[in-house]
Amino acid sequence: MEYNGGAVVAMVGKDCVAIASDKRFGLQLLTLATDFEKIYKMTDKCYIGLAGLATDVQTLSQELKLKVDLYKLREEREITPKKFAHLVSSTLYDHRWGPYFCEPCIAGLDSDNKPFICSTDLIGCINFAKDFVVCGTTARELYGICESFWEPDLGPEELFEVISQSLLNAFDRDSQSGWGAVVHIITPDKIITRHLKTRQD
Amino acid sequence: MATKTGFNFDNYQRNLFLEHGKENNMKLPKATKTGTTIVGLMFKDGIVLGADTRATEGPIVADKNCEKIHYIAPNMYCCGAGTAADTEMTTALISSNIELHRLNTGREARVVTAMTMLKQLLFKYQGHIGAALILGGVDCTGPHLYTIYPHGSTDKLPYVTMGSGSLAAMAVFESKYKKDLERQEAIDLVAEAIQAGIFNDMGSGSNVDVCVLTKGKVDYLRNYIKPNVRKEKEQVYKFNLGVTPVIKESIRNLVDVVEVNEMEIDQ
Amino acid sequence: MNTAPLKPGEVSLGTTIMAVQFNGGVVVGADSRTTTGSYIANRVTDKLTQVHDHIFCCRSGSAADTQAIADIVHYNLQLLAAQEGEEPTVQKAANLFQQLVYQNKDALSAGIIVGGYDKYNGGSVYSVPLGGSLHKQPFCIGGSGSTYIYGFCDAEYKENMTKEECVDFVKRSVALAMSRDGSSGGVIRLAIIDKNGVERIFVPGNQLPQFFEG
Repeated sequence: MEYNGGAVVAMVGKDCVAIASDKRFGLQLLTLATDFEKIYKMTDKCYIGLAGLATDVQTLSQELKLKVDLYKLREEREITPKKFAHLVSSTLYDHRWGPYFCEPCIAGLDSDNKPFICSTDLIGCINFAKDFVVCGTTARELYGICESFWEPDLGPEELFEVISQSLLNAFDRDSQSGWGAVVHIITPDKIITRHLKTRQD
Repeated sequence: MATKTGFNFDNYQRNLFLEHGKENNMKLPKATKTGTTIVGLMFKDGIVLGADTRATEGPIVADKNCEKIHYIAPNMYCCGAGTAADTEMTTALISSNIELHRLNTGREARVVTAMTMLKQLLFKYQGHIGAALILGGVDCTGPHLYTIYPHGSTDKLPYVTMGSGSLAAMAVFESKYKKDLERQEAIDLVAEAIQAGIFNDMGSGSNVDVCVLTKGKVDYLRNYIKPNVRKEKEQVYKFNLGVTPVIKESIRNLVDVVEVNEMEIDQ
Repeated sequence: MNTAPLKPGEVSLGTTIMAVQFNGGVVVGADSRTTTGSYIANRVTDKLTQVHDHIFCCRSGSAADTQAIADIVHYNLQLLAAQEGEEPTVQKAANLFQQLVYQNKDALSAGIIVGGYDKYNGGSVYSVPLGGSLHKQPFCIGGSGSTYIYGFCDAEYKENMTKEECVDFVKRSVALAMSRDGSSGGVIRLAIIDKNGVERIFVPGNQLPQFFEG
């Protein structure tokens, strides 16, 4: 976790969800890149954010994308976020005795466009939350700030401000995260992706 | 890949190197634990199970309202403490196997069967699967209550507690438990024991879940008591729209918006 | 001999157990304390496990290990009885225990006493300590509490005791061990096994034999 740094947060809004991450990729305290997005698109309306060891973030995201695509070919339908969460969980638990060093946050809209978010730990214990989920080196800061900023029934634009301000202010107190951020807002008819202006220190 | 079964050890050597290698001392992220108070109690006509609802990652409360009473079979439920993923996965696995057993035999599964499956699984893994369980259920031989430790030992007792709050909860049971309690008395005692854990043990918190198992009937009382409801926020942090500076925006439309003129509709 | 390294957090039977021959059968006895560290996980444990109609084992060491062994032996004895059409001898049961403990000695911490009755040998007692050796003895004590009562048992044991004398001997021995050993305690559980079957005796904590307590 502390090796590459990173912060991911997902939030529920009214008929929408948002997921955001920082863009830093570092080796301990040395920053190597500032364009490392940790959020991956799995289906049209389901995204996963992976915080942790960068090599595992990439490997796991590829393994999951493969499984999601194979699911679609086999079943001839899109995987729902909840099923995807269980797919992530069992993939991680497969590696119970040699885990991937990363914690996922999942956000999406299901087939009825109902919001869904969850997170899991590194061996696949799912945390179904109704409000927000966080992970990464900034988890502590994010927990605190989201607990006060988040409120129910936020519209897409309000949700964007809340998740952005939560992430921005949280990772300013974490030396290992920051250097740019990206936010995805998933609504029934479109996905809005915004890159934020942040401190570069 | 799809034909492989069982656990995958690919990362095992690598992780040892990352954690203990010559120039590395990377810390493994903490797995979610359920600090937990879980209890079970035998009463006049069945079993009452109880659990708190806090999950922790080190000192952080990861989930304020998680479910620790897991389904095994229509007549059996199981409380889990310890490594959260392990309790979740072992109970799910045994639940599946019990269902297959039920379909094979055409009979309702017995509690000892589930208990034996669990203890043999946990013994096989020599305590590495960190699941401490309380298994309760009613079958054709009556009500049964077992505790199962991570190493695979089991106990059969009329009242049991487990998890980090087990001492606080056991103190309540030891002073107030009586044989053949009435249903409501039993629920009250279980709720009191869980609350002893919630308020005196740091690993336990939030709400009380209760599950009452009697012959042919199960009552799962989710959040039976909520002693820690959060007060309504006195202030809201509303941000003005547009305060967050955006460098770049891209929109991916999932639907095409098409302009249709009335003439075409008429046709 | 009594303290094998337990894995962290493992449940242990800190235990006093014993088995004694008398004319016509055996008496097996045990305390009832199960501990995890300093916490008593079970104060009314039954450490006497029936593995066949006339054969019992007394378990000491790791609760998980001894339960697993007893379950396997139980299964094998049922199978043996069905195959051979007669009840297995105590020696056969003891041999099964010995094989399991010896073959897995690196992984197990189990000290087991086997006691029972069969029509060829009458009552007999076997001890299977930690390394997996097998000893036939007229009486045997085991577990952490046993160290406190070796002298007492050597002094008090007599050959050809009656059933009543034997029960009294076991009760007093276990009570003495329980009073000196911190990891033994609770109640005394006994089983008398002879040709007529099994009789179980339960001695509550407030009715234990009394001795000098300073």
